[in-house]
Amino acid sequence: MPPSNTNLLQGTLDVLILKVLALQPMHGLGISNRIAQVTSNTFLVKPGSLFPALHRMEEAGWLTSSWGESENNRRAKFYRLTAVGRRQLKQETDLWARISAAMARALKAT
Amino acid sequence: MPLWPKLNSLWRSLMERQKVEDDLTNEIRSYCELLEQQKIREGVDPVTARREASIELGGAEKLKEEVRNVRRGAAFDVLGAELRQSLRGLRRNPSLAVLGTTMLSLGMGASIVVFSIFQSALLKPLPFRDSNRLLAIWETRLDRGIDQASFSEANFWDVRSYNHSFSEVGAYHYDEANLTGLGPAEKVVACEVSAGFLRTLGVSPILGRDFSYDDDRGGFRNPVVIIGNKFWKTRFGSDPNILGKALRLNDKAYVVIGVLPPGEPWIDDQLYMPFGYRPDADRDSWEFQVIGRLKPGTTQEAAQVDLAQIAGSLAQSFPEQDKGIGFFFTPSSTWVASQTTRRALWVLLGAVTFLLLIACLNIANLLLARGTARMREIAVRTALGASRARLIRFVMMESLLLNGFGAAAGLFVAYVGIGVIQSLEIRGIPRLADAGLNPWVLAFAVFIALVTGILSGLAPALQAPASGIAAALRDGDRQTSSRGQGRLRNILVTGEVALSFLLLVGGGLLIRSFKELMTVDRGFHTENRLVFTVNMPRSYWERVVGKQFLDRFFERLKANPQVLASGAVNQRPVEGGDPGMGIDTPQSSAKPPWAGWRVVTPGYFAAVGLPLVRGRLFGENDKPVWIPKDVPPYPRRVIISDRLAKQIFKNEDAIGKQVLLWKGQSSGLAEVVGIVGDSRERGLAENPTLTVYLPYGTNALTSEFVVHTRDNPLALVPTIRSLVGELDPNLPISNMRSFDQIVYRSVAPQRLNAVLLSIFGVLALLLATTGIYGVLSYSITRRTPEIGLRVALGATRSNILGMTIRQGLRPALIGALLGAIGAFWLSRYLATLLFGVKPFDALTYLAVAALLLATAALACYIPGRRAMQTDPATALRIE
Repeated sequence: MPPSNTNLLQGTLDVLILKVLALQPMHGLGISNRIAQVTSNTFLVKPGSLFPALHRMEEAGWLTSSWGESENNRRAKFYRLTAVGRRQLKQETDLWARISAAMARALKAT
Repeated sequence: MPLWPKLNSLWRSLMERQKVEDDLTNEIRSYCELLEQQKIREGVDPVTARREASIELGGAEKLKEEVRNVRRGAAFDVLGAELRQSLRGLRRNPSLAVLGTTMLSLGMGASIVVFSIFQSALLKPLPFRDSNRLLAIWETRLDRGIDQASFSEANFWDVRSYNHSFSEVGAYHYDEANLTGLGPAEKVVACEVSAGFLRTLGVSPILGRDFSYDDDRGGFRNPVVIIGNKFWKTRFGSDPNILGKALRLNDKAYVVIGVLPPGEPWIDDQLYMPFGYRPDADRDSWEFQVIGRLKPGTTQEAAQVDLAQIAGSLAQSFPEQDKGIGFFFTPSSTWVASQTTRRALWVLLGAVTFLLLIACLNIANLLLARGTARMREIAVRTALGASRARLIRFVMMESLLLNGFGAAAGLFVAYVGIGVIQSLEIRGIPRLADAGLNPWVLAFAVFIALVTGILSGLAPALQAPASGIAAALRDGDRQTSSRGQGRLRNILVTGEVALSFLLLVGGGLLIRSFKELMTVDRGFHTENRLVFTVNMPRSYWERVVGKQFLDRFFERLKANPQVLASGAVNQRPVEGGDPGMGIDTPQSSAKPPWAGWRVVTPGYFAAVGLPLVRGRLFGENDKPVWIPKDVPPYPRRVIISDRLAKQIFKNEDAIGKQVLLWKGQSSGLAEVVGIVGDSRERGLAENPTLTVYLPYGTNALTSEFVVHTRDNPLALVPTIRSLVGELDPNLPISNMRSFDQIVYRSVAPQRLNAVLLSIFGVLALLLATTGIYGVLSYSITRRTPEIGLRVALGATRSNILGMTIRQGLRPALIGALLGAIGAFWLSRYLATLLFGVKPFDALTYLAVAALLLATAALACYIPGRRAMQTDPATALRIE
């Protein structure tokens, strides 16, 4: 079992996926691993939430997908960010910056 | 979100469902394998790795389900579920489904029929290139009150040469010819056109060539002919080798040089010959239809100014013929349908819109009532978490579904209706044969189904979730249907009654006007009269043959005991043309009246039943007013119609007086020998023409024959055919009809309008009555306990009946009042279609109001009687 798992806040997963894909196209497992890595295993994304999120974002036009070869030569579905997705990431990043600053201030104040 | 990916994914989830599914399966499998490999790399043994991977995946099917849910296609699956639910709902309530579909199918069927006629007559473009630049050009003599006349030949050539506004101007002269050598002799339409005529229209032959400008040069008539497509098809079986063949027309050979493409009926079944430029062209006789194609970038106004200049110089150069000349345009869009026909079709389209609206209101009413009955179900759904949006969608879906059924049934109704109307062969509605369920009409059907679906779903949809859930659940569906809802339904009924009033007034006015039209004094008599055409070619006019034929023919007819009277005229009454002239006393200096002239044989007056008012009819010694140059002059004699005599001679006796014929043109004196009754020559709806009758003779032949018979005129047809064949086998008989038929055909558009609008009115009345009945009977059912209480407290039965009828009649009364106001306002648009009836005809309004209120009262009486018979004990127990 994974060491720890914090419940993802609504919307958090989307930003994380967008952020991770901003660097390079990735397949599902890659995204999951990368999120675990960048959040130091704070967030472990299970397929049960990953897949619906990916498909929802694809439907929304933020991502596109295509079949390709994984690093060890297996077929995998790769997701890449669209221009719309990039704009979305920018917005969400700004929003998160404001929220976290506000939260930090609020928590320190008491 | 951008539109394209949305549409794309919608398409994929609807159409490529399987592919999307497979894709998802593969994706999950690949994820699983990658995860397994990763675990093996981390040092887990393969068996455990596989198990852990599949545990982490948490069940592929569940995962797929979740993904499916987020796919937008899911929205459609849900929509599909709603559709199924609505269908189930309608199946559970078949009376609603059947009643609703029937009402809608009538409304929509009527709309589709009218639209298909409208579309083919008014919306379908002319088959000519850039038809918006095509104009018809007319001469005017506004100083003489002539605002639209054909061209004289010489004026056409001048306008063609001197204008700067038209890239091409063409003229067309209607003529007929006897075609021989292809089976029995036959009369065909053979028009003379200027060389540029077809180029002006923008039509080029599909075979052979157009007339070249050489064909109309040189002052001779080139014996060449271009044939219409239908003519080519029906008479030559689309023979590809037709070019170069000769047609015998009026005993002269014409070489076929071209075949036109298929097109409008009026250019299809004809022959075209070129008419040549003549320096001495006639400037007196207005016989040519002229069309022009505006140069690109030239406006109608600019062309108007340009032609006004030409008119000015023409009036100066030819003061005798062209004094006061002007020019006037009509757009080519009016070539197909006259102004009156357009108006009539618009009125029908408006009427049918009202009818559809009434059907729509009725459906809304039904759905509202049903929504009330399901108050509890809806409340439960809301309580269980159905969103308001979803409830609205559900009600809307039901309405759309009903309207969809209605439209489908309406298409069937329309298919039958169009067939019936086409089988009536109504003259005056252009392109009626083309009307049908084409893509335009189908699109219209879909469009109205959507619009009415949304309209009739609007009220019930907004009403449904608004009522309080708690109250609904507590009290069941008896008490809670709020007052507001009752008021809403009353408003709907009021609207229905008002619209029905409009339609009934329209139908009533048209029926009254039609009756007036049929009973107006025509002057002529139609019963037991046979009318037919025998056309004699020009050559018959130059020798004595033509007159000889006429004289022998009538002599032989006289001997027939079946024949009471017989005669002939140069223009067929009601259906024929109306050549005219200015006529007045030689002394008068006022503007001369414009009168139609007719060449008649002496027997004509008796044959059509025109009475002699004073003086005498024509006799053997009265000769044509056109005196040939090689004949010693003789006195001219004419007979004039009563109105004309009164207009020219006021109170004096006209008999024996001189009149100037063609006054202002090539004047000639003539003596008035008789006055005959007035006649509605130009059609029943037109004022009786002022008419001058001229005697027939060698150079004044007549082609339209009228025979008054003792019995059924059509029984005489074989006798006439054999008689004409015996006297001259080269002469074709055509257009054989009874006079009654001619009149019947001439009023066909008016009759169609009156009949259709009355049908719409009756349908509207039926729908409105259903509405009144439905609302009242529902409200009575709901008020049973209250009525029971009233009875228990001593209300008499007639009190109760009076109360319910008052309640039911209130919306009807208000509706009738609103309808009367609306009808008063709208009937002005009917004015031009009416004959002998004012748009605000008190009798029609009163009759409609009485009919509507009586029907409404009847609709109220049935539920009222039920209320009257309420037994207080039972009623109170229901509580």
